[in-house]
Amino acid sequence: MSKVLIDIEGVKKRYAKASEDSLKSVSLKIFEGEKFGIFGPNGAGKTTLISILSHILPFDKGSISYYSNGNPIDFKSIKQCIGFVPQDLALYDDLTARQNITYFGALYNMDAASIKRRSKELFDLLGLSVVADKKVRTYSGGMKRRLNLIAGLIHKPSILFLDEPTVGVDIQSRNAILTFLDRINSQGTSLIYTSHHLDEAEKLCDRVGVIDYGELIAVGNISDLLNDNGAENLTQLVIKLTGKEFRDNV
Amino acid sequence: MYKFWISLKKEYYLLINDKTGLTLMFLMPLLLVLIITIIQDSAFKVVNENKITLLIANHDKGEHGAELVSMLGSSGMFDVSEGDAYSPEDLDRMVSSGKVLTGLYIAEDFSEKLDLKSLEFSQSVISNMGFGEEVSGEKVALPSIKFFNDAALQDNYVYSIINVIYTHLNVIEISRMVEGLYQEMGYEEIPEDVASGLLSQKIEIERYRSEESRPIPNSTQHNVPAWTIFAMFFMVISLGTNLVQEKASGSFLRLKAMPSGFALVMMSKQLVYMLVGALQVIFIFSVGSFLFPALNLPPLSLGETNLGGLLLVVFVSAFSAVSYSLMLGSLSKTQEQSNGFGAISVIIFAAIGGVWVPTFVMPDYMKLLSQLSPLHWCLEAFYVLFLRDGDWRSLLKPLYILVVFSLICQLITYLKLARDKVI
Repeated sequence: MSKVLIDIEGVKKRYAKASEDSLKSVSLKIFEGEKFGIFGPNGAGKTTLISILSHILPFDKGSISYYSNGNPIDFKSIKQCIGFVPQDLALYDDLTARQNITYFGALYNMDAASIKRRSKELFDLLGLSVVADKKVRTYSGGMKRRLNLIAGLIHKPSILFLDEPTVGVDIQSRNAILTFLDRINSQGTSLIYTSHHLDEAEKLCDRVGVIDYGELIAVGNISDLLNDNGAENLTQLVIKLTGKEFRDNV
Repeated sequence: MYKFWISLKKEYYLLINDKTGLTLMFLMPLLLVLIITIIQDSAFKVVNENKITLLIANHDKGEHGAELVSMLGSSGMFDVSEGDAYSPEDLDRMVSSGKVLTGLYIAEDFSEKLDLKSLEFSQSVISNMGFGEEVSGEKVALPSIKFFNDAALQDNYVYSIINVIYTHLNVIEISRMVEGLYQEMGYEEIPEDVASGLLSQKIEIERYRSEESRPIPNSTQHNVPAWTIFAMFFMVISLGTNLVQEKASGSFLRLKAMPSGFALVMMSKQLVYMLVGALQVIFIFSVGSFLFPALNLPPLSLGETNLGGLLLVVFVSAFSAVSYSLMLGSLSKTQEQSNGFGAISVIIFAAIGGVWVPTFVMPDYMKLLSQLSPLHWCLEAFYVLFLRDGDWRSLLKPLYILVVFSLICQLITYLKLARDKVI
């Protein structure tokens, strides 16, 4: 059996001025080498959970432990081990792709030579080598998404959190990103992923968790969950578990 | 160290890509300092220059006109030039065009009328004392002189000038009357001690200038630092936008997931923009030193300036501008808010702080209000450098206020970003 990577115990989160918890005592184990997907309707708590796991948001109650080869990772080292690919394109439009990546690499304590070597490898793999010295402002949506991914991976993290990494991109960029994610997972990087593209998630993920109203309502292998709930695919499963009504908050 | 260097480079790249910000920080103050200094130069001269330019057209055929010219010349108050061929209309034109501040026209019968009037007075005195015949006939008219002044001179200042001229006229008039008295009494000339007494009989007024009274800068000493400070604070457009964009793009959120902290990023921003502030000083001060003389404006001289004081004032002023810009950037939700409020607030601070119109010409309540402006305290610190030889004791107050102001801005920035969960 795989070793535990992240152990989440009774995590609660309520935003200031909110009347309800965004996460209600979520407990979950994610294992090393997994491609774990978190799904649910808008406002269910996916982004909150992934933001807490990637240390962007604090949580109110509970505990989260990170492990490497079964050994706990101390608090100071956690950020060096995780990569984060936010839903928003957190890039500098007026800098070139290379300048962006050099900056983020340096903030991950990498030296100049390592940044150069790793960025070249990633630019090649994600098809951005030719445009690496052009300003990000000139990039298409797909190119920006790929660069956003590189920024989260520059330091070779052992855990990569991805919040809607393929939103708004064309089929070619999406395919490139998913193929790339499969590749880095096979090289040992664990993926924790949220998306509204359940078809792509079905292909990518080993295990999923369905979250609704801040509660984890189902966790398991995709095939087991589909069988248990009589669903043909992940879209049907999520609809069955969370209902058909709209969840847009105004 | 490498990440700090890269962080500085990132801020530098962002800055050089911000063409609007660079224009506002360098080109705008260059134009303002040139235009405003040229416009204000003559007004500052009026306030500052010890001698008032006085053009005298002396058409007098006698000796008293020349005597008056000589007295006014040696009074120490006027920079007298003589243009005896000028008519009253010429003088009026010369003064209106700003070539001289004041003009005096002495008519050709000035001495003749003065002598006749003095004689009439002497005869009247002798007659009243019963030593001579009663004076009869038509009264002699007093001579008059024409005075012209620049409209820029305030009325009370003009009255002071006229009174000085009166004083000298009185001396001539009284001398002439006493001479007449002596002549009527049969003396050929007045005794020497009486003659010299007439000229030296003055009550001495001892003048004490308060130690606290402030020297007045010239147009360059005011405008060069004033517009440099204005330009420094206008970095709010560039730096405020920079911060708003980082917040909006999610870059700060990404930073939270990274091992390097917010402090590194903020330090890099501040250092780069403080260097910009220093460059603004070098740039605009160079214009004041090298370009102004070519435009017939007083040059900016740093010859006697306290160099350590200058560096400290530049550092603290730049730190204040950076801190204010960061605070506005953190308080603004959008780029438009940051730009709009930033520009308007700096313009208001400049107006009340004495950048446009120096505080020494403001009414008392405005002087009090000006103390709310950080630009005022920056300007005060530069005045100390230029007008009080950079006296450390005098620098202490403005620098202390600016440091407190900056720390408050930094604290607000931190609290706001923390409250918004950005850091």
